Order: sequence, then C-alpha cells, then structure tokens
Amino acid sequence: MKTSYGKAVHAERLKLRRSPVWLAFIALPIISAFFGTCNYVLNIEILKKEWFSLWTQHSLFLCYFFMPALIGTYCSYLWRLEHTRHNWNSFLTSPLPLWALYFGKLTQAVCMTVLGNAWIFFLYYICGKIAGLASPFPKEAMSWFFFGTVGAVAICCVQLFFSLIIRSFAIPIGIAMAGGIFGLLITNKGWGLRYPYSLYSVGMRANNPNLEIDMSAHLVNSLTYFFLFTALSILWLRKHEISAN
Amino acid sequence: MITLLMEWKKIKRKKVGLTMCALMGIQFAWHFWAARNPSEKELLQGWLGNLQTQPLLCAIMMPTVMSVLASRLADIEHKGNTYKQLKTLRTAGTLYHVKVLCGFLFILAMTAANYLFLLALGYLHGYVGDPDPKAYLLSFALQSACCLSLYLLQLDLSLLFFNQMIPLVVGLCGSMLGVILMYLKTYSFLPWGGFLSSAIVMMDWNRDTKVVTYYYRDFSSIEFLALTMVAVWIIVFYTVGRILFTRKES
Repeated sequence: MKTSYGKAVHAERLKLRRSPVWLAFIALPIISAFFGTCNYVLNIEILKKEWFSLWTQHSLFLCYFFMPALIGTYCSYLWRLEHTRHNWNSFLTSPLPLWALYFGKLTQAVCMTVLGNAWIFFLYYICGKIAGLASPFPKEAMSWFFFGTVGAVAICCVQLFFSLIIRSFAIPIGIAMAGGIFGLLITNKGWGLRYPYSLYSVGMRANNPNLEIDMSAHLVNSLTYFFLFTALSILWLRKHEISAN
Repeated sequence: MITLLMEWKKIKRKKVGLTMCALMGIQFAWHFWAARNPSEKELLQGWLGNLQTQPLLCAIMMPTVMSVLASRLADIEHKGNTYKQLKTLRTAGTLYHVKVLCGFLFILAMTAANYLFLLALGYLHGYVGDPDPKAYLLSFALQSACCLSLYLLQLDLSLLFFNQMIPLVVGLCGSMLGVILMYLKTYSFLPWGGFLSSAIVMMDWNRDTKVVTYYYRDFSSIEFLALTMVAVWIIVFYTVGRILFTRKES
C-alpha cells in the first residue's frame, strides 16, 4: 500500500520517463572536468596542491554559475509539464494532498541534484587518476559533497517556487543564472552563507578547498530556505487560482 | 511590417523586455562592482579597460541570455500550437524573418544600454580623458554581431524543439564553453568564442610588477580569421534555420 507521497513520486517518475532531462547533468560537468583537468595539467608547475588544486579547476565556474542554472532548468522542466496544455486540471484534481504533489516534484529535483553531484565527484576522481595524482583521494571530499548537496536542495526549493509562479520555462533559468553570478559578488563580500544561490558553491568549497565554513550556519540557513520556499510553494498551490493553458 | 506588429502584439505583457532588463542589471552590477574604488592607474586606463571587460562578461552571460530571449519568442508558438494557423496567414519564411528581426531589435537595445552604462560609469568615476568614439562604436557593432549569431543558433533550436530544455541547456553549455575558452585563448572559431575574437582591447599583466596595461589589439591573420567566423556563423545559422523552419511540419 503506497502512501500519498509514494504515489506522487511514482507519478512524477512516470512523467519523466524517456525524457532526456538528465543529459544536461551529464554533459555540463564533463565540459568543466575536461577543460579543468587540461588547465591543471598545463599549469602543473604553479598548481602544486595536487587534488586540492585540481578541485579548484573543476569546481570554480561549475559551482558558481552553472549548477544553479542547471538545477533551475530541471525545476522548470518539472513544472512545465503542468504549465502546458490542460495539465493543471488533472494535477490539481488528482486524489492526493497538495503537499504530497509538491514533495513528489521536490524529490525528483533532489534525486537528480544528488546524482549530478555524485557525477561531478566521480569525474573529479577519474580525472585525478588520469592526471597522474599519486596522493590519496582527499577525505575532505565527503564534507564538500554533503554540504554541497544540502546547499543544492535549498536552490531546488527556491527554483521550484519560481518555476511554479512563473509560467515561462526560460525566465526561472535566467533568474538562476543571474542568482549564481550575483552569488559570486555576495560570497566575495563574505555573505555567502546567507544567500541561497551561494550555499552550494560555499558548501562545495569551490575555488578554496581549505575554506573553513560555519557548518551549523550552513545547515540552519539551508533548512530555513527549504522550509520557507516549500511553505510558499504549497501556499501558492493552495491559495492561488491556477488556470490551465 | 504587419507581421512584425503581430509579433510585438504576441509578446505584449509577456515581460520579455523586463526579463532582459533584469539580466542586463546583473551585468551592470558586475561592472559597477568591478570598477569600484579605481586607483590612479585604473582611472588613466578606464575607458580602455571597459572595452576589455565587456566582451569577457558577455562570453559568460550572453549565450544564456540569448537562449532565454529566443526561447521566450519561440515558446509562444509551441504553447499555443499556432504554427498551422500562422502559416496560413503568412509564409513560413516571413515568420522566421520577423522572429529574427524582433530578437535583433532586443539585441540592439540591450547592447546600446550596455555601452551607455559603461560610458556613464566612466564619467561617474572620472576616467581621464574622453572615450574613443570609433572604438566604442566598433565594439558595439561587434558585440551586436556576436549576440546575433548566438541568438540565431538559439532561435533555430527553440523553433525546432518543442522541449525548450534542449536549447536552454545548449545555451548553458555555451556559457560554460565561453568562460573556459576565455582562459585558454584570445580568439576562437566556435560561435560561443566570438566575444573573445571580437575584443578590440587586450590586457597585459606584468607578473613581477603586478601592473595591468591595456592596449588596442593588433589582429594577427588567424585572429582576423576567427573574427570573420562571427559573420560566417550568422550566415550559416540564418540559412540553415530558415530552411529547417520552412520545411518543418506544423
């Protein structure tokens, strides 16, 4: 016997079946890993910290600019299915509570983000081996992965909200891209932990693997954005009259 | 003209202009942040520095901005399933022309706003001397051309694919390539590297003194060839897009 949440997740999985949305999460990190590793190998005399130096080359642009936009693309796609044709009618009249419908979408977004993040680390390991790094794989990578994923979940919630309230597919992606670029300025000011689009890059320690972050502040702020935007999304679904196209 | 008016009416209240303004706002914020508290040396070279920074920032942002613009203009037809009806009113070629023209007008407006902001920023900070009008006009024209080549690519993809995720991901990958190419070379034959090839001001950073010097670029033959590729891409994307759109089944 499936719960409402289980049914919603299953329905979302069916909707995404045979759609190549995962391709973007595969392609973009490959570009970053390929050029990052080439740059590392070409500048090996300057970049002396082996795995840590390689990480800066892999993660810098991907984490700041492109991962928020990629998450934005996925979230936009999830809601686009409902924004198209008369799908809002069937979505809102399905015999499941609204919170379950929302969490069905969020689960898909989070799953894809976790897989995308795991793929980034897999490429990092493979590229390190190809580049001939002799030292062991850094243990700190576990922490980068964990806090990066937590930050990415916060971005998922923010982007799901924007993609819900904005019917256009492209605008929320533009917001995510702009949010990521603006995040670089915010992080530079030292306020990265307070800004949702920076939580991912700060958690991943992009460009600074030795960065000591306030872990509790990172978790608390990520959870705050999670609860805030989840509540806003469910409230929007409940209160707002959404008309089918 | 009627078809162009029809296109404007279609995007009325779609806030396409507002979206572009917001994305330009991020560029302005970046310029403002990068140029804050200029040193004496920076004030001396400020006008040249602007022309060096602008193409680099465009290489990061414009592929995505163009994909958003093209998707907004093409998605109206996908969502409304209007191709069949439109093709009975106007020829497919005319519809394609109008989409191109409409996007190009947005590009011109955005690029003009960009350069006006750079000029305002320069006067606000009190850069020494006056900007070279020829250099700024040339840079404006080259940037518009680069944006047009990317817009045509994105428009072709957005019109051909119902699933707008594909063109948007191509735009993101283009931004990624643009930012990476920036670190590898000063020119590129790829459409996303056009901004690098069209930069008319280069930077020389002295590692010992840590002093930055800007200078007008002296195009080598290969760099000039890379620059002409922008025009080649415009012709290729326009021709291919028009043929594919005309033959596309509604």
